[in-house]
Amino acid sequence: MTITSTPPTPANTRAVAQTSRWSQVLTTLLLYVVSISVALLIAGLLVSLTGASPWEAVQAIFQGSLSDAAALGLSLDKAAPLLIVAVGTCIATSAGLFSIGQEGQVVIGATVGAMVAIYLHGPGPLILVVTLMGAALGGAAWAAVAALLYYWRGVPVVISTLLLVYIAYQVVFYAVTQPWLLQESGQNVASPQSDIIRNDAWLPRIGEYPGLNFSSLVVIAVLLAVGARIVLNRTTWGFRLRMLGLNPKAARRAGVSAVLLGSLALMISGAFAGFLGGALLTGGSHRLQPGISENVGWDGLLVALVARNNPILAIPVAFFFGVLRAGGGFLASTGVPRYIVDVVTAILVLAIVFPPAYQYLRREIRARRLARALATGGAA
Amino acid sequence: MSTQPTGAPAHSAGAPASVELRGITKRYGSIVACDDVSLSVSRGEIHGLLGQNGAGKSTLVKILIGLAQRDAGEILLDGRSVEIPDPLAASTLGIAMVHQHFSLVNELSVWENVTLGEVGRPDAQRTRELVRSIGARYGLDVDPDARVEDLSTGERQRVEIIKCLRRDPSLLILDEPTSVLTLAESRELFTVLRRVAQDEGKTVILISHKLDEILTATDHVTIMRSGRVVAQRVTAETDERELAREMVGRELSKWVAASALGDLDALVDPSLSSDPAMLAPVEPIHEDEFPFRLRITDAYASRDGRPLLQGLSLDLRAGEILGLAGVEGNGQQALGDLLSSLIELDSGTVEMDDVVLPTGKPGAMHRAGIGVIPEDRHQSGCVLDMSVAENLVMSTVGSVARRGFVSRKAIRANAERLIEQFEISTPSPDTPMRQLSGGNQQKVVLARELSLNPKVLVAAYPTRGLDVGAIEYMTERLHDAANSGIAVLLISTELEEILTLSHHIAVIHRGAIVGQMRRVDVDAERLGLMMGGQEA
Ligand SMILES: Nc1ncnc2c1ncn2[C@@H]1O[C@H](COP(=O)(O)OP(=O)(O)O)[C@@H](O)[C@H]1O
Ligand SMILES: [Mg+2]
Repeated sequence: MTITSTPPTPANTRAVAQTSRWSQVLTTLLLYVVSISVALLIAGLLVSLTGASPWEAVQAIFQGSLSDAAALGLSLDKAAPLLIVAVGTCIATSAGLFSIGQEGQVVIGATVGAMVAIYLHGPGPLILVVTLMGAALGGAAWAAVAALLYYWRGVPVVISTLLLVYIAYQVVFYAVTQPWLLQESGQNVASPQSDIIRNDAWLPRIGEYPGLNFSSLVVIAVLLAVGARIVLNRTTWGFRLRMLGLNPKAARRAGVSAVLLGSLALMISGAFAGFLGGALLTGGSHRLQPGISENVGWDGLLVALVARNNPILAIPVAFFFGVLRAGGGFLASTGVPRYIVDVVTAILVLAIVFPPAYQYLRREIRARRLARALATGGAA
Repeated sequence: MSTQPTGAPAHSAGAPASVELRGITKRYGSIVACDDVSLSVSRGEIHGLLGQNGAGKSTLVKILIGLAQRDAGEILLDGRSVEIPDPLAASTLGIAMVHQHFSLVNELSVWENVTLGEVGRPDAQRTRELVRSIGARYGLDVDPDARVEDLSTGERQRVEIIKCLRRDPSLLILDEPTSVLTLAESRELFTVLRRVAQDEGKTVILISHKLDEILTATDHVTIMRSGRVVAQRVTAETDERELAREMVGRELSKWVAASALGDLDALVDPSLSSDPAMLAPVEPIHEDEFPFRLRITDAYASRDGRPLLQGLSLDLRAGEILGLAGVEGNGQQALGDLLSSLIELDSGTVEMDDVVLPTGKPGAMHRAGIGVIPEDRHQSGCVLDMSVAENLVMSTVGSVARRGFVSRKAIRANAERLIEQFEISTPSPDTPMRQLSGGNQQKVVLARELSLNPKVLVAAYPTRGLDVGAIEYMTERLHDAANSGIAVLLISTELEEILTLSHHIAVIHRGAIVGQMRRVDVDAERLGLMMGGQEA
């Protein structure tokens, strides 16, 4: 037996490493297949319960989302908002902040945007730009409240952002029910919505019906995702942000101010959502309504969750969710209750989030069981 | 291949060894953690397992208590071949282990912790009695009704040991038990182990990388290096030098010998040593040649109304190592935090080259030229989930970027340079920091801080938890840093380390400096008095 250790041959090493890597990938893959199959099974059962045929439901979803150029455009339109919320979420999460208040920031963004678009005078394109900027600032300001509460009083971001959503709902409802503020003018029956904004300040669309056509928001969303990825992974700012998220104390030693950088990340995340609110206003309903957000703030969180906070991965995930949203609308028109689509979406999300969660839990449980065995065995 | 190594314990003819390992091999991927390890321990013996970090000691005993499975080899208990698939099986076989990290619940009392993990209703009175009787039997004095969070680390470890001993195991394993203990507590522990082995006839395996412990506490010693057994000795027939040489694979330098061997008396009075030259104090620097660099004046700081620093004043010269001695918890951490911009002063000043620095402002101390090797390198010295290369530019990411964009090439070049210069052992610059050994993580922190050309380097417990090789490395680098004109503040509770390295020694007590002396004038008695808080 010699004393110096002979290093293992590279080929050998690689072989060993690869087998274990492959078996790991296989297990993970299998887990996804099983979990999604179970989800589809449950979804099928649920649809059958409503009296419809699952196969027909799938066909309806496909028809509404991917069957032709117009349907595809609709899917893209539905995906873009989710992607923008998800990308903003990735930025906050990178800094270690779990903001879930995007829904409220969207609503506030739309409200601020409506005020700008309705009260400001000037050339249309300028109004559009200022509206979107105002909306982004509104969302950022809403997020800043959470940042302030966190860094000044230690209120957890999860809680403050969540509560701010419900306050935002109240704000928008108040705005569209006050005639002196944003309520629709010159109507006998006062409905809770604003006037339609001038059509030269609408967000342009790309392509023409019945060909492929979609909102320019789709392009903006993809650019934002790519941009966020580059900023997070390639810039000094992104480097500091990740450092802050992974180890606040080490980051502080290295000169990162958690208050400044963390607040900024939270506000940028809010600005993404707020901007989206402005885009939904100028590119969608063209007027402020309490339901303008259509829950994109919540679903966008799911996209970020499934994409594991990777803005690039969020692109296909958002598209998948967009397909479900577009197809779901079509499915509803065939008589299947709309909420079934939401339930099915939720089940699918669970199916996608389940494998990593399961693997994590299994590790934890194993560790716990071991710890318990150790305790029982007198630490043996 | 399992040749009976020389120096293995001699058994009375016929009586099988209490524990025998034959050709144990364990691989983790391409790493061979244990390579054909054989050893045998007889009943009533304390067997030392000595080796640097990563030598495979923990892996070997994990196999014994069922936390890991061997790839090859055989385990025999009292001559019988056994399988140990899990910790429960180990427990049934009478094997118990005291882990380095405690598994106690702080909010519960001692007796409650002792019953933890038991099925059925705990019997308070009986357990209290049990704790007391085991305490009396082995000299493990601890109040069964005390809450664990109020106990010192030494006392907590006693609770851990009581938890083990109450099952009356025949084999007790301790993995680096003294790394959390004071010198006095360690000595008490060894007395307990002696009783466990001699009076109760149990078998003890003691893992350590400290030579003096092995020499005082064990009967036989097995030395491991890179997963292999490189030597086995009867403890009484070996000495520190031989052990160190076997463990590291070469002779040790002056810088580490004394502190690693832990010979305090010889350090204070080198004439007591067989090799006085080796332990001679550092030559004092010419004080008038070297200007004051860092000056802390009358610093007061507190947290939640608790005082942390109470009028601390300290001067640090360029080219000098100032050793800050003191019992842990007397403001060392606050001082380190102050110099890392983590806390703000209530009053007092910090000056660098006569310029007052703002306290508590992120990065301010760093920019002023203060590098810090923090005591909790995992928690605040590095980001475990970032790569080695990224960790090496943590505070200077601007220098490897152009117009705000980080250059991967520059990060990599910087990393490759530092990895070579500081002999960091890592598979690649892109390896996550988490996968490095403690010694190499420490090297990364050191490399990063020194690469900034600091004026002042604060090293808090820089060698804590490291093996002799890594201690030697760190110590030499600190000495070199001072030689190159950096003012070094060495914070440590290990007097050996301070005596080996420092030009000046200051003693901290209750958030203030109670006394200072030059290394050449050190007087052990005075040092001890000051550490106890008396101005001497
Ligand atoms: N669970 C594990 N997975 C991969 N490698 C490991 C694992 N445990 C230990 N090792 C590796 O095995 C070697 C021996 O480690 P260890 O037994 O902990 O050494 P020691 O206790 O002597 O410091 C090291 O190189 C270490 O990185
Ligand atoms: Mg170990």
